[in-house]
Amino acid sequence: MASTEDKAANKENVSSWKDSIYNPRTGELLGRTASSWALILLFYLVFYCFLAGMFALTMWVMLLTLDDYVPRYRDRVPEPGLVIRPNSLDITFNKSDSKNYRTYVNHLESFLQRYNDSMQENNADCIPGEYYMQDGGEMTKKVCPFRRTSLSLCSGLSDTDFGYQEGKPCVLLKMNRIIGLKPIGDPYINCTVKKDHPVQMHYFPSEGRIDKMYFPYYGKKAHENYMQPLVAVKLLLTKEDYNKELAVECRVEGTNLRNNDERDKFLGRVTFRVKVVE
Amino acid sequence: MGYGKSDSYRVATTQDKDDRSPKKKKGGTKDMDDLKKEVPITEHKMSVEEVCRKFQTDVVQGLTNAKAAEFLLRDGPNALTPPPTTPEWVKFCRQLFGGFSILLWTGAILCFLAYAIQAATEDEPAGDNLYLGIVLTAVVVITGCFSYFQEAKSSKIMESFKNMVPQQALVIREGEKVQINAEEVVAGDLIEVKGGDRIPADIRVTSAHGCKVDNSSLTGESEPQSRSPDCTHDNPLETRNIAFFSTNCVEGTARGIVICTGDRTVMGRIATLTSGLETGVAVFLGVTFFILAIILGYTWLEAVIFLIGIIVANVPEGLLATVTVCLTLTAKRMAKKNCLVKNLEAVETLGSTSTICSDKTGTLTQNRMTVAHMWFDNQIHEADTTEDQSGAAFDKSSVTWLSLSRVAALCNRAQFKAGQDSVSILKRDVAGDASESALLKCIELSCGSVRMMRDRNKKVAEIPFNSTNKYQLSIHETEDPNDNRYLLVMKGAPERILDRCSTIMLQGKEQPMDEEMKEAFQNAYMELGGLGERVLGFCHLLLPEDQYPKGFAFDTDDVNFQTDNLCFVGLMSMIDPPRAAVPDAVGKCRSAGIKVIMVTGDHPITAKAIAKGVGIISEGNETVEDIAARLNIPVSQVNPRDAKACVIHGSDLKDLSQDQMDDILRNHTEIVFARTSPQQKLIIVEGCQRLGAIVAVTGDGVNDSPALKKADIGVAMGISGSDVSKQAADMILLDDNFASIVTGVEEGRLIFDNLKKSIAYTLTSNIPEITPFLFFIIVNIPLPLGTITILCIDLGTDMVPAISLAYEAAESDIMKRQPRNPSRDKLVNERLISIAYGQIGMIQALGGFFAYFVILAENGFLPSQLVGIRLNWDDRSLNDLEDSYGQQWTYEQRKIVEFTCHTAFFVSIVVVQWADLIICKTRRNSVFQQGMKNKILIFGLFEETALAAFLSYCPGMDVALRMYPLNELTAVRLPHPTPLLATLRIIEYRSLAFAAVCKRVLLWTSVCLTGALQGHRYGNLSMGSFRCAVTEHGSQGSREKGDKRGLVSAAVFGILETEERSHKGWKCPIPLCIQTGAE
Repeated sequence: MASTEDKAANKENVSSWKDSIYNPRTGELLGRTASSWALILLFYLVFYCFLAGMFALTMWVMLLTLDDYVPRYRDRVPEPGLVIRPNSLDITFNKSDSKNYRTYVNHLESFLQRYNDSMQENNADCIPGEYYMQDGGEMTKKVCPFRRTSLSLCSGLSDTDFGYQEGKPCVLLKMNRIIGLKPIGDPYINCTVKKDHPVQMHYFPSEGRIDKMYFPYYGKKAHENYMQPLVAVKLLLTKEDYNKELAVECRVEGTNLRNNDERDKFLGRVTFRVKVVE
Repeated sequence: MGYGKSDSYRVATTQDKDDRSPKKKKGGTKDMDDLKKEVPITEHKMSVEEVCRKFQTDVVQGLTNAKAAEFLLRDGPNALTPPPTTPEWVKFCRQLFGGFSILLWTGAILCFLAYAIQAATEDEPAGDNLYLGIVLTAVVVITGCFSYFQEAKSSKIMESFKNMVPQQALVIREGEKVQINAEEVVAGDLIEVKGGDRIPADIRVTSAHGCKVDNSSLTGESEPQSRSPDCTHDNPLETRNIAFFSTNCVEGTARGIVICTGDRTVMGRIATLTSGLETGVAVFLGVTFFILAIILGYTWLEAVIFLIGIIVANVPEGLLATVTVCLTLTAKRMAKKNCLVKNLEAVETLGSTSTICSDKTGTLTQNRMTVAHMWFDNQIHEADTTEDQSGAAFDKSSVTWLSLSRVAALCNRAQFKAGQDSVSILKRDVAGDASESALLKCIELSCGSVRMMRDRNKKVAEIPFNSTNKYQLSIHETEDPNDNRYLLVMKGAPERILDRCSTIMLQGKEQPMDEEMKEAFQNAYMELGGLGERVLGFCHLLLPEDQYPKGFAFDTDDVNFQTDNLCFVGLMSMIDPPRAAVPDAVGKCRSAGIKVIMVTGDHPITAKAIAKGVGIISEGNETVEDIAARLNIPVSQVNPRDAKACVIHGSDLKDLSQDQMDDILRNHTEIVFARTSPQQKLIIVEGCQRLGAIVAVTGDGVNDSPALKKADIGVAMGISGSDVSKQAADMILLDDNFASIVTGVEEGRLIFDNLKKSIAYTLTSNIPEITPFLFFIIVNIPLPLGTITILCIDLGTDMVPAISLAYEAAESDIMKRQPRNPSRDKLVNERLISIAYGQIGMIQALGGFFAYFVILAENGFLPSQLVGIRLNWDDRSLNDLEDSYGQQWTYEQRKIVEFTCHTAFFVSIVVVQWADLIICKTRRNSVFQQGMKNKILIFGLFEETALAAFLSYCPGMDVALRMYPLNELTAVRLPHPTPLLATLRIIEYRSLAFAAVCKRVLLWTSVCLTGALQGHRYGNLSMGSFRCAVTEHGSQGSREKGDKRGLVSAAVFGILETEERSHKGWKCPIPLCIQTGAE
């Protein structure tokens, strides 16, 4: 190394900066010869391959330790969130323009496809009002049916527009699936509108009840065709409610489930806005 | 002027024809060229009266106090203005906005900008960007303040040192002598100086009594020059009636009128010249990470947020503070060892020093003439020259010695200054010249009080030394009151003394001086002279009473008494002996590959003797002249290549061409320059630098300052050095001791090593910090490590361990390796980057990602699902995101998991940084050789861990820093790459042979095992097996050090094999280690 530097210094000082990129006398590219580069690249190749292999191995072993049915820790999702369908927190539409609300309707329709009776022929009947415990026995768990018809006016069967055309839109509410969750008490959904005089609402199933037979959930693998219970709310808006933005808040009531968490605004409750234009 | 005269100053002293008053310059801009041309002093040509009139003063009464106060107000204090210092706020801003800080500022501004845009466009803007902006701003301001205070602290040390000794001056005002601070002296003051004083200003001498001044700090002339009221030369620098500011009065007394003060003095003007030489400006590396985010094609706001993340991850925020702390620590430590470093960068340069050009007097030697040898009774006796009087004593019982000591004590004008009874004899101040003081101290030490001896032998007449006689003589009464004879004692140049002697004293008896004795004398004289010592001869005579009865009037001008046919008593020779610590220090330099060159104004023989004494010319090495003398051939026939050592005379140096100079410096390892002037020092320094050496130069005179500036490290003397040289220097030796330079070099190398370790440690965590962002952007996974957590690492957990590396003790070979090549072995070079980023950083990132995937997988998000999930993951309105187990998550719930991942990633970086700290702890030694004695480092490990635990488990951190606690099982799993990292360190050990290979086998196996043991208890187990492997083989390593290596078989050791070969000299391009400078 030193000898080459001396040579460079003696011969031509002018081209020294060029030499640092490519030195034609020693064949050095960026200070290293080709073989030197090859070796260093080879080293890094081997080194990184080893690291990658090591990483893959540890990941593989780690995945082996995991249970297929239940995640190891469930303490980060102790309580279910509450979400609505159509999947928008800002439902605005013109009731006289069918194109305007078509997306909502289509969305609801496709969402409810799973709840068609034809899809639920294999489901066993459960005893309403009781947890459907299946702890022992087979790994594959049986599923309680949730019939679309129970949503009545909001099922989209009788009224394919889900009330959007008449300006009394249906909103579906569902509690997030959480493995092993068994709400104590009788859960039901209650919605309020932040407004001077209350807006009439219709709940399906009646009183917005969620039957305990749908709990607990056993996870995707065991409970493959699990039917998530739904509650539909039909907002019976009147003329004076049109062209105004209404903030609707729905909560899960009647249980130990949290619905007033300060930070998480979707834990056991959901707030959305509805504006119907005439 | 002698050999030391300076041509440059002659040019600088053209006469002031247009009679411009120097005062006109005051306040105006100082024009360099103007300054260079003239020294406008004319007072030396005026009569005393004219001078008095000019300064409105009186030659007897001095100034009135009122006038003095008026002049002081007009001219300002009599002190050299320090070189222009940068104002404090500029320094502060430089700390606040320089280097990395500017990047962080950019980040902070972008944060605020992003927040502003969000606030304008969204109803409920997320506060994240605002908080981050505030945190970033706080970080920059705090680190800025921190480094500013560090710098201020170290410069304060320098300041305090400067003000340690205020100079005093004796002025006569209103007819009264007053001692005032030298700064208050004004033009026109009547001043009295006496031997030993520093001249407080430029003065026109009005009366003088044997006054001699040492102008060496101004002109480089080392012989003291006499001063008298007469004008002897047109050039003010050469005339005798001007004494200059900051020169020293060696002996005698003088009175004079101050003609210039402060910067207007000649010295002040020269000082302004030197401070004009520019020094290089350090250039910061430009970090260009801005472009990356923009090319990636995200929306503007997203790109900005990524950009901030990348900036925060890539800027080692703690590094600046770490480096400053390291340097300050070292500067402090060095100040304790008598090296005062003026600028912190000098510490680092000092470590790469490859040549030291050292003065002789005062640096290598004690700067104190000491009697080294005596010849009496036809025998050479050795006196004790050590500083602490620990050397051998000679036989003091001989009668001849008593006579010799009596002559030396009586024929001696030197005396101890009053009030020093409590001080040890060697340290007492003496009034008188160097050789007489040496004799005085020698006699005082061996025979008791000289003063009493002189009291018993009253002096009746005296002829002082002069250069024509070359002897000094005095006549005393004898001790015995009944003996009325007079005793004549004489000392002087040995050959002159011998000429006046007819007898010689042997074993107390006078014997005639025959040819044999004369030859013996000649041999002794030659031998002592050959040792480079100054030899004096002594003789005495008891004058016969009949010719010189009591009360005889001795006339010293017209000698009326016998001065020949005396009795020769003996010889005494003196030398300025080397300092005790110097030979060791020179030896250390040699083993450290540092060439020591001696540059002195002394005679070549003296220079060579001292050089041999301290090991600059090592035993067995000969100069050309030595070879010629040994082989008995002319000097011209000797092949100069045969001689490793050489002594070069200043007059020869003048005639050397550049090539010849290079040739000498290259081919001789041991060089002494004798009879050189300070100007030639510059030539020597330049010669060394031409050959690529990093040169440290010592100097004390003003004329040394160009050499000090030119040198890579200028070293000024704290005691003997002039203010100007101290200003030009980078380092000041408080004790003027050469050994302190070597300590400095050692510290410099140590700090370079330690800084390198510290930087390697700090940089390493950049990779695990930046890869999460890259994967976040490219693969669209949830962000594995947030910006706040990155800051927690850089400014929290990494800080103390990084600083603790500054306390790391020197590695065993620190003074045994060659000086580092500053062009190739930089503080941060590609090797360091390669290992920190390419290897350790990658392993760390791997550990972090593993932790990240574990957390997500165990909470339900399997790795396969994560890729591409980012858009949904970060969608606030999506509150039923489904995981791999069918569970549905709200935004907040999955964010908590994400923050748990950040915490896990953070903790795993902390854990791998444990291992990294051990890796970076040593550069060449193995950890087992180095030991774990660095308490601060151990504290750092615990502090880091405790802080990490605090940050992740302290209640409230989830709100404050968005860090969520890990559950125990997860936490245990995190150390998983630690053994791997530790192994990397093991690979690097050079010195361990067979045992090392065994250890590697075991450790690699343990690494593989850790993979297999992955499970609930995996973390604990692997750490356990790792630890036991290490300890087992650590002890084996020390036992089997002698074994040959050679157990490399398994395929796993492919990497090791390459590394093994590199040890055997095979040029290995693979930067397996941080080690540097060994080739």
